[in-house]
Amino acid sequence: MKSDQQDKIIDLSNASIGYLGKSKAHKIIKSAISVYALKGELVAVIGENGIGKSTLLRTIAGFQPYVEGDFRICGKLISTYREKELALLMSFVSTEIIKVSNLSVFDLVSLGRYPYTNWFGKLLDEDHYLIEEAISAVGLQGYEYRMVNHLSDGERQKVMIARSLAQNTEIIVLDEPTAFLDLSNKYEIVHILHQLASEKEKTILFSTHDLTTAIAESDRLWLMLEDSVEQGAPEDLILNGNFDAIFHSKHLYFDREKGDFRIRKLTKKVAHVHGEGIAMDWTIKALSRNGFEVVNLTDPADITIIVNYQEWTVIHLTKQIKFNSLLSLCRYLNSLER
Amino acid sequence: MADNVLSITNQNTRGYRVILVFAFLVPLFFLLDLLVGSYYIPISEILKAIFRSDSANHQVVLIINQFRIPKAVTAILSGAALSVAGLQMQTVFRNPLAGPYILGVSSGASLGVALLVLGTGGLLGGSLISVAGSWGIVAAAWLGSGLILLLIVIISARIKDIMTILILGILISSAISSVVNILQYFSNESMLKSFVVWTMGSLGSVTNVQLAVLFPSVLTGILMAFLSSKFLDAFLLGENYARSMGMNIVFARMVVFLSTAILAGSITAFCGPIGFIGIAVPHIARMTLRTAKHSLLVPGTILIGALMMLVSDILSQLPGSEATLPVNSVTALLGIPIVIWIIIRNKNTARL
Repeated sequence: MKSDQQDKIIDLSNASIGYLGKSKAHKIIKSAISVYALKGELVAVIGENGIGKSTLLRTIAGFQPYVEGDFRICGKLISTYREKELALLMSFVSTEIIKVSNLSVFDLVSLGRYPYTNWFGKLLDEDHYLIEEAISAVGLQGYEYRMVNHLSDGERQKVMIARSLAQNTEIIVLDEPTAFLDLSNKYEIVHILHQLASEKEKTILFSTHDLTTAIAESDRLWLMLEDSVEQGAPEDLILNGNFDAIFHSKHLYFDREKGDFRIRKLTKKVAHVHGEGIAMDWTIKALSRNGFEVVNLTDPADITIIVNYQEWTVIHLTKQIKFNSLLSLCRYLNSLER
Repeated sequence: MADNVLSITNQNTRGYRVILVFAFLVPLFFLLDLLVGSYYIPISEILKAIFRSDSANHQVVLIINQFRIPKAVTAILSGAALSVAGLQMQTVFRNPLAGPYILGVSSGASLGVALLVLGTGGLLGGSLISVAGSWGIVAAAWLGSGLILLLIVIISARIKDIMTILILGILISSAISSVVNILQYFSNESMLKSFVVWTMGSLGSVTNVQLAVLFPSVLTGILMAFLSSKFLDAFLLGENYARSMGMNIVFARMVVFLSTAILAGSITAFCGPIGFIGIAVPHIARMTLRTAKHSLLVPGTILIGALMMLVSDILSQLPGSEATLPVNSVTALLGIPIVIWIIIRNKNTARL
């Protein structure tokens, strides 16, 4: 605890972000932000669309000034840094997918050496070494001379992360790095970020909408809510109920056991389910999607379903019907309602 | 490690090889350009006139030194200048259709020339043009494009978003063009014709004395382009990335805009607006060199641009005929098929 003060790589206290206007007519997007990130932490910034995640990240990256408060990077007020100094401390990855033709992976990653190279951008041996190291760190060895516009979106995002690694900065800020990626690439990218934070002691800050990966991999979350910004380990924020406040929708609720949001269904009917194992679990899911709540066998129910491997038997009133898939079962249940 | 360095060299060898080929082709086509003209001179006479002028036919020496060499040199300069300017604009605006005139430099020059030719010509009669001579046109064009440059510098220092600057540039160009149109509407026929001829572009009107001004101007612009190749590489990723890498955006923009304005402004001043080379050549350079690095693309576009202009000039002579075509039409007719071919061959040209 004693070294916390020095280890606060990013430190915001009572800060306001937004746009500076003329003569104090500032447009404040979010105020009273007091959060920090320690060295070697992977921090996920989570919040609804339009709550100010991008503005916060852009302000931390130095693209726009902060409005009020105390906004420190490595102990120094961010406004006192010059562009060059900031570039040695912090690198940035945007959500935009870069599509430049005839640009090789190596050449793109080598742009990370920009703050270090001479006027003409000449790469020295050390630069070559760091570029190769960055490319390997994201698992793209052998891709050096591929053209970036021939890569998949996931690979391209890895190249952009490699570029920020080549910049060799203590902090990496990523604005929704997984926004355009498929599920497996989302997991992979966040996992790479986690490894970089823990192994290379980098402080990595990223915004995301993907709660499952954020909860699974981040050390700390910054939860941007309507009236406040909360921080803590993902599990802390789940336990103290902060997650429920992320989305202002009566159709969504946070499932604390599963660690993800669910769509609230108006359950109309109750069912008994007999069976065991994974087939039983998925049957319950299918039933809840179709508006059936599964209740204890002691409570009364409209319907009884017996799960037996790949076969489902429905007992409804006096009828007894067998189904060989959940799809046909669900179709039958829906037909009952009408 | 040694392996990597080796493969890096391999990657860039293609670029260097292509540059070498063009570096060989440019002098070849320079000589070819000296060969063609309304008066036939055999190559042996031309070489004699260049290297041993005292033993050569006096008239041939005169034609070569006073007409053909200045014209061929102007072709090289204008091709190189417009292509590099186009490359810079395409990269900074991240727009494959940007060209040297996107900032309104040529419309500024047209306004200057239009005011001189149409305005004063209308007031004081045609004699003024001959008095003011070609230097007057050059000065007017330079003044016009310089004014536009000043406007762009002021705008780009105040406005953050590069797209806004692009849109403002296009709007300013259009506004100026309409002023030029009004001037044209109210001017008499002979004035109008001399203005229209100016807008068609010409490489042949540049004298040796004028070359002494044009040459250092183009050299300055090209030198600035070489110096900004690192900026241009960073601009490829967009201004946010560039800033996050420690680049001073406003300064980098100024250097690039200044270089573009000097290059496009000087060429427009001396040769009139020459279209299409500046848009087509950077694409040809990217395709043939297969790189996005400006340390290679800048020399590449200089050579390819020079070559394209020499070819355009040769074609505009209409070999075997005494007539010459306006160079502006030739560059368009030559450039457009090349760009169409590139676009069809490579679906990715929509991006840089």
